[in-house]
Amino acid sequence: MSEPQRAKAPDAGEQAKVGVYICYCGGNISDHVDVEKVRERMETVPGVAVARTNMFMCSDPGQELIMEDLRQGRINRVVVASCAPSLHESTFRSAIARAGGNPYQYEHANIREQVSWVHHGQAATDKASRLIAAATGKARTLTPLEPLRVTARRHAVVIGGGIAGMRAALDLADMGVRVALVEKTPYLGGGVSRLVRLAPTGEDAAHLVTTLARRILEHPGITVHAGSAVTTFGGYVGNFTLGVSPVPGACAPAGETWPGGYVPGKGVLVPPSPDGGAITLETGVVVLATGFASYIPRPGEYGFGENAEVVTLPDLIQKIGGLEGQRGGTLVIDGRPIRSMALIHCVGSRQIPGIHEEDANGHLNEHCSRVCCTSAINTANAIREACPQTSVYELYRDIRTYGRGQEELYAKASGNRVVFMRFGADQAPVVQRGAPGSGHPLKVTVTDQLTFGEELEVPVDLVVLATGMEPGPVADLVEMLKLPVGADRFLLETHPKLRPVELPIAGIFLAGTCQAPMDAGETCNAASAAAVKAVSLLSKGYVELDPFVAEVDVRRCTGTGACVQACLNPGAIALETMDIDGRPVTRARVTPALCLGCGACVAVCPENAIDINGWTLAQYEAMVDMIVSDAVCQDSGAVPETVGA
Amino acid sequence: MDSSKNAVFDAVVIGGGIAGLQSALDLAGQGYKTAVVEKDASIGGKMIRLSKVFPTLDCASCITTPKMAAAAHHENITLYTWCDVQRVEKDATGVSVSMIQRPRYVDIDKCIGCRKCEYNCPVLVPDTEQGGFSGRKAIRIPFSNAIPQKALLDVENCMLCGKCADVCPTKAIRYDQKPEPRRIAAKTAILATGYELSSVTGKPQYGNGDIPNVIDSLQMERLLAPHGPYGRVLRPSDGMIPDSIAYVQCAGSRDASMGVSYCSRFCCMYAVKQAMLLSGSLPLADITIYYMDIRAFGKNYEQFYQNAKAMGIEFVKAKVASLDAGQGGAVTVRYEDQTGEGATSRDHDLVVLSMGVLPGFAPGGVCPVGLGPDGFIQSVLPKLSPSVTDLEGVFVAGVAAGPKDIVDTITEAGAAAMQAAKYLTALSGKAPGAANKESSHE
Amino acid sequence: MGSQTGATAQDKILLLATESCAYPGADSVGQAHASYPANVYVLKVKAPVLFPEKFYLDCFRKGIGGIIIMSCGEECPYEGAYKAMAKRLDRVYELMKEEGLDIRRLRLTAICTVCNRAFLNEVNQMNQIVHELSPPVQAP
Repeated sequence: MSEPQRAKAPDAGEQAKVGVYICYCGGNISDHVDVEKVRERMETVPGVAVARTNMFMCSDPGQELIMEDLRQGRINRVVVASCAPSLHESTFRSAIARAGGNPYQYEHANIREQVSWVHHGQAATDKASRLIAAATGKARTLTPLEPLRVTARRHAVVIGGGIAGMRAALDLADMGVRVALVEKTPYLGGGVSRLVRLAPTGEDAAHLVTTLARRILEHPGITVHAGSAVTTFGGYVGNFTLGVSPVPGACAPAGETWPGGYVPGKGVLVPPSPDGGAITLETGVVVLATGFASYIPRPGEYGFGENAEVVTLPDLIQKIGGLEGQRGGTLVIDGRPIRSMALIHCVGSRQIPGIHEEDANGHLNEHCSRVCCTSAINTANAIREACPQTSVYELYRDIRTYGRGQEELYAKASGNRVVFMRFGADQAPVVQRGAPGSGHPLKVTVTDQLTFGEELEVPVDLVVLATGMEPGPVADLVEMLKLPVGADRFLLETHPKLRPVELPIAGIFLAGTCQAPMDAGETCNAASAAAVKAVSLLSKGYVELDPFVAEVDVRRCTGTGACVQACLNPGAIALETMDIDGRPVTRARVTPALCLGCGACVAVCPENAIDINGWTLAQYEAMVDMIVSDAVCQDSGAVPETVGA
Repeated sequence: MDSSKNAVFDAVVIGGGIAGLQSALDLAGQGYKTAVVEKDASIGGKMIRLSKVFPTLDCASCITTPKMAAAAHHENITLYTWCDVQRVEKDATGVSVSMIQRPRYVDIDKCIGCRKCEYNCPVLVPDTEQGGFSGRKAIRIPFSNAIPQKALLDVENCMLCGKCADVCPTKAIRYDQKPEPRRIAAKTAILATGYELSSVTGKPQYGNGDIPNVIDSLQMERLLAPHGPYGRVLRPSDGMIPDSIAYVQCAGSRDASMGVSYCSRFCCMYAVKQAMLLSGSLPLADITIYYMDIRAFGKNYEQFYQNAKAMGIEFVKAKVASLDAGQGGAVTVRYEDQTGEGATSRDHDLVVLSMGVLPGFAPGGVCPVGLGPDGFIQSVLPKLSPSVTDLEGVFVAGVAAGPKDIVDTITEAGAAAMQAAKYLTALSGKAPGAANKESSHE
Repeated sequence: MGSQTGATAQDKILLLATESCAYPGADSVGQAHASYPANVYVLKVKAPVLFPEKFYLDCFRKGIGGIIIMSCGEECPYEGAYKAMAKRLDRVYELMKEEGLDIRRLRLTAICTVCNRAFLNEVNQMNQIVHELSPPVQAP
């Protein structure tokens, strides 16, 4: 396993010669700041070798001033005082690099947005002077840095063989990344295998799953480890090691089917893995595609478990399949005619504290499960179209047919004379046995908001509960990989917009319903988005990380471990026994690839033995000293002797 | 930003909103040379113009600017702003985009974004970037966080007084700039052309835009933005602090009679979000949302909605029938009450219409890509690979493929970049396997 | 350390502004040309959790009149950093009390990239406080 390398060691002995370059910005700065006066002042600041001005520092002639001074060896640190660093910091850093300097030996003084545009007169000139002096104070102690390079294996482990995992694996493999796909059941297909026709476009679930699974099984770049689970995990981005072991009892019933064949409700059976036993996978990235679990109603919830005529929507979908042989009359299930049925929405979803009951572990599913409205309506339409003698009632809170083509499905349901009734969260429908002689085994009572709160009683032969999605059982992975989990218990991305498929742990990505409920198309989008991040990360064979990470001065470190306690990314810093001057001692050691560079360790070290490269505490102290110093702005003109030293 | 008249790239992304930027960043991150073509003078699309975004209530600028800056500074990305796409053609050799670079009347290489021209320009016109609520100059930086930070002269309103040219420190003003044709060749394209809100004009039930204090949701975004036109929420007609604000949901969506039969998908959530922001900035105001169904379907959206209810925002299930001008600048909302009152009405100081979402791009005659009946670009693999279109090598991302919130848009943009990258890989034959083989099984 | 004799030395205000939120926020104030007191100095930080208790006390000792930590708040990109820092500040406040420093000289706030008004409010309030209070260190 390769350690991150620093290309150049800091040349500590080198004398700091700071070049200061002050921009007029065509009057934007010089109208309010006496730029020449500032330059004169800077020439008196210790460590400053040259101070120059230009009408437009960002222009080619402006940049050339800096590059020429560097090439001539007049300077080895650069301070540019101009507009906000967000605009031109990168311009000047690359100019330094072009002239053979180190782009990190650069500090920016923001004297437009933070001086000339907000202050005027002498105050502006003085503040600019102090800010630039402060920048030189920091610049004097800047050491050369190089981006950290961590070699990365062009290999991915995808955990989960549903459509998310298959999509991600194919995308990665098509880009030339070798993939190991780990699935705990013997089948590929996951949640989609339990469906039949997908709303709203009517694709055949078996066909979708088979299409992906065949390509997976044929792909030379993909190895499938079915009936297996991840049991150990270690390493960091580019260099993870995962132990994978067979799941006891995870094999298909003998003679049930043949490898490569599709089993409804389960997926495509994978030929047994040639390895058989436990194996170790060395990989660059990990994609989590662990999917969801369907909510199982509590016994007695809407009569579930107490009445054979109360089933879940996933069960119903399995039972009726493609409604083969059901054309023309009344829906028949298990030999029983269903003349009237009720679909109850939001079962195990959108639960509200104080109204709904927590489960045995104290959890409430406060989230919306996103797909059940459309799935319920899709099923209602299929039944009404195939079996017009069967009445269908939908009892809902809000109809969330949000996606493309879904509202049309809802409109079609009205055309199909599906009857909609709306209940309030605190007025859940009640499922009871039907009155003897009513001819129906069950009755559903609902206070319908669509008919001005009228209490309606619907005699039915079947109650279907549109159960929601819950996070899959991944407690072991959460523990092993230290994955963040949200209040909804789904895996939690770094930021829903900035980094929607990433985790704070570099190199681990989220794909699909392990993150939140999604439909099939959204799941594949998420999987492809995760794959593109992984491919980008692996595209160079190494990962380049910011050099702004913690570094321990082992000469000062006494091994108190305070930094280890304070670290926000456990594992980034650890105590180690090392040999110093021939004696074994305990010292802190940073794993740069894991360090976030936040500095939480810096604040707590009693020996000042740890710092963030490029942002050291001493550099901040030097800046504060320069800001409070009257050396550059007082008439005395005296230069403080030890500023920033 | 230097963009020669004929340029060759690996990929071209049409649209520089959040979808296009994300796609471009994900392609460029793999080393593909990528062009982004934007019709506006700044990249950032709709998102950069928003106040805060649901469900985290992050400031929109804080999320968008880093991606805008990353694209602008990326060595593999070239931005073409202020460009009108004329044709997108696809043949065996790849994609060719013909476009017209509209004149900014400013030399973009010389302009340093200092705004001296803007401060000295004597012409003041309504600023559409601020919902039309405040003024802008004829020459200006389009908006405070625009990228590029370059001036733009509006020749319709310029009176050629020459003041901008006099004060410009870099002599960047070019009154004689002409539209220039440009051509981009690439191997693959991503269409990320976004949306426009449907207009209130032509909707007599909402007053055709003639009722004062009836605004659309994007205008409310500007009123709520920290750098908005008034710096706080005021009623446009008279500057009054509104005590009662109403949202009319599905104002032009889920209603074929108003031209949009589909659900516009993100209006529920932005209305809930705006209502929350309003109750923060105007704690005494009553806020009412008239809705058909609240579609809080995304991650943490339902919890966000329940929080809004707990904050005292009133949700009224009703389809609003019509709006009328009421007394003293108020707006009368007429609606069918579902709790038994029947047809009824209520006055509000300010009414926000959650308008429908329309495609931002009509490809007819420009690009032979297939559309759905809703006018958005059609996906041919809506389940397995929603960004794949019927034009081989041309992909779609974001609202161009149907209404979508920002989270779903950013994810789809990544997916489109993935599919485009696979297409490029298959073309070059460097990696095993071919892109979109699944489609052959369809 | 430089001399403390200048009339302006003692009323300087330090803003520790996070590079992802408050620092661009200060730039946004500049783009709006909104004026604020010139004794305000913005230092860009990755995360203010970096600074130990001593740093703040040293600043006051050196003559800084007030410090505003302008963080990203709960949206901090470093998970746990905001909480860790808020805890540290409680200790800094204790130490400030021990040294007889008015704790209003140190403030923690969250500033977004376009929160111009909030930025100006914070800065003006601190400026007022700093002017009300006697200098943190007496001139020699």
